[in-house]
Amino acid sequence: MERPAQQQPATTLFRFEGVTKTYGSITALDDLTLNVPVGAIGLLGPNGSGKTTMIRSLLGLIPVDRGSGEILGMDFRTRQLEIRRAVGFAPEDECLFPRTVGVEFVAYAGELVGMGYRDAMQRAHEVLDYVGLGEARYRKVESYSTGMKQRLKLASAIVHDPKMLILDEPTNGMDPAGRDEIIELSADLSRNKGMSLLFSSHLLPDVEAVCDYVIVMGSGKLLQQGPIQQLKQLHQLSFEMRLKSDGANFTRRLAALGCVTRIQDDLLIVQVPAGASQNLLWEAAAAGNEQIRYLRPQRSTLEEVFLDALKQPNGRAV
Amino acid sequence: MPIFDQGYQHWNGQLANQTWRWLVITRQGLRAGMKNIIVRIVLLLAWIPAIALAAFLCIWGLLERQSDLLSGIMPILRLLGSSIVADPKHYRLEVWTISFHFFLSVEVYFSMILILLMGPNLISQDLRFNALPLYLSRPLRRIDYFVGKLAIIAALLGMVMVLPAIIAYLLGLLLSLDITILRDTFRLVVASIAYGSVFAMSGGLLVLALSSLSRNSRYVALFWLGVWFLGGVLGQALDANARDQRRHIYFANIDRASMRRVPAARSRGERNRFEREMSDAYRRADEEFQAAEVRASATNWRPLVSYTANITRVGEQMLGTNNSWDALSKLWPAGQRQTLLLFWKGQQYPWYWSAGVLLGLFGLSTWILNVKVKSLDRLK
Repeated sequence: MERPAQQQPATTLFRFEGVTKTYGSITALDDLTLNVPVGAIGLLGPNGSGKTTMIRSLLGLIPVDRGSGEILGMDFRTRQLEIRRAVGFAPEDECLFPRTVGVEFVAYAGELVGMGYRDAMQRAHEVLDYVGLGEARYRKVESYSTGMKQRLKLASAIVHDPKMLILDEPTNGMDPAGRDEIIELSADLSRNKGMSLLFSSHLLPDVEAVCDYVIVMGSGKLLQQGPIQQLKQLHQLSFEMRLKSDGANFTRRLAALGCVTRIQDDLLIVQVPAGASQNLLWEAAAAGNEQIRYLRPQRSTLEEVFLDALKQPNGRAV
Repeated sequence: MPIFDQGYQHWNGQLANQTWRWLVITRQGLRAGMKNIIVRIVLLLAWIPAIALAAFLCIWGLLERQSDLLSGIMPILRLLGSSIVADPKHYRLEVWTISFHFFLSVEVYFSMILILLMGPNLISQDLRFNALPLYLSRPLRRIDYFVGKLAIIAALLGMVMVLPAIIAYLLGLLLSLDITILRDTFRLVVASIAYGSVFAMSGGLLVLALSSLSRNSRYVALFWLGVWFLGGVLGQALDANARDQRRHIYFANIDRASMRRVPAARSRGERNRFEREMSDAYRRADEEFQAAEVRASATNWRPLVSYTANITRVGEQMLGTNNSWDALSKLWPAGQRQTLLLFWKGQQYPWYWSAGVLLGLFGLSTWILNVKVKSLDRLK
């Protein structure tokens, strides 16, 4: 079921204007300014980069020292409780309501947001089925595995059908199968169910699998933001190739033509001299009687985008 | 996309407003607590004194109406005293007050047991399972969290102290068929509610504070037992020590009187006079001892170390128990009045000392909770 047209969200999911937050001598957010559109947003950054502080600021869980901002059109300095009603949040740490079974856990989470008991209980059954915990709904939550606990947190975050979902390191400590399930659920919620998503993780493949927009944080500053496809820009002078032969002669020939080559996995990465084009590669192959099986301009990986962003002194937006 | 996607359905219901959000925590806490069979048993047992109170007030109502239904138990009722049986309405307030006092004093112990069973888990389990981020990331303030947890204790104490007191009062009222009873004794209902509220606030906040000190609820339970029993035992030990010192003076006076030997070969008259003097000396020593006990009782600070003694002392003041004992003591023989009053009224140090101790504990508990249960405004 898609959201009705009148509930279409605004174009801006959240924004920060010069937000600074310090803990004693540590600056967790440093004059942070950004504007993020609705959609599935990946939040990247190394440990201590300010990701969790940013999420807590968004939810109005902590007061900021300076600056202002909005989430879903609500000022996070003054409308904290309304924000937490509209947003679902699954914290990073392992956290449980003790002495409950799965369905009570999720229903209790719903009641705490303001749902009536019957609604919360009915909805708890639905979302537990959705996250694949239907069989375990009457088991004590203390007995759940790590993956089940993560899915339980996800269920309790979406029980009240929030407009936006914030997942803080949702795949931490999970086995590959469990990770895939969380990624699949997150992607489904954001792509098919109209729920905006802020997906904080240090696992780049997870972010890439779920999100279409990314924010890179470092030392409390914004280092990079933009649609992932744009950030993974094409390199004008760099190409990925695969040859029929081992390519040793071809590599020597390219070096003589001024190209820089390196092997990456089973690909030959070639950087042609300035002013040259991929025709140079075709000509070199023809001259050396080499068969090119694969050739395309090189595209940055998200990992490269991330590492490049961390090297930059100041952030930028695409 | 499937024609009918059962995977995830949107929810279009209304969320309740913020005012009563803490009640969700209370409901959940009570639901979880009531799963414990021992809690259910103690709750049931705690109603036995309530039934006794209700039964007594019903009998009293019938006694005021001089009902024939009581003819079978009249010999037992005469134990109350002939003056009371002859004119029960005259002693209505005093007897009702003392009945409520006994009832609430017993319920204090049941309440302590219930707090022992339910209280230690309230925050320590949340700390152990790291539930605070789950609470505080929802539209819930820290004060809502505390109020919700405190209300669990308040609800339990309400079930064993306030609710039975009100029901017993209403039953007594119905069976007396006298509207003046409302005028005379209504303050007992108010006092019972106030007594229960003070206990719930003080005991509830104290056990929450203790619960926030450890992630292991067993340690918290031991701590609560320590507050309860060690405080009581220490108070009694200090009191016994002080009483021994007063008794020592008493026996020293007796000894001084006994030192005087009956001279040999005295006349019968002289021996009689000597025995009278001895008897007077014993009586004076006895009176001095009683007077010393009464004086000591008025300034005895030692029970202040006992939590339950403080609660009971404040409760006595709310109910006006002492005035009732004073009124009833006029029916007792003059010579025994002081002794009996001392026995029934117990320690008579100023009630506000106990109120001060409870207030201090309240402040300490609030401070501990504020320090131990933090918001998420901190670094990991």
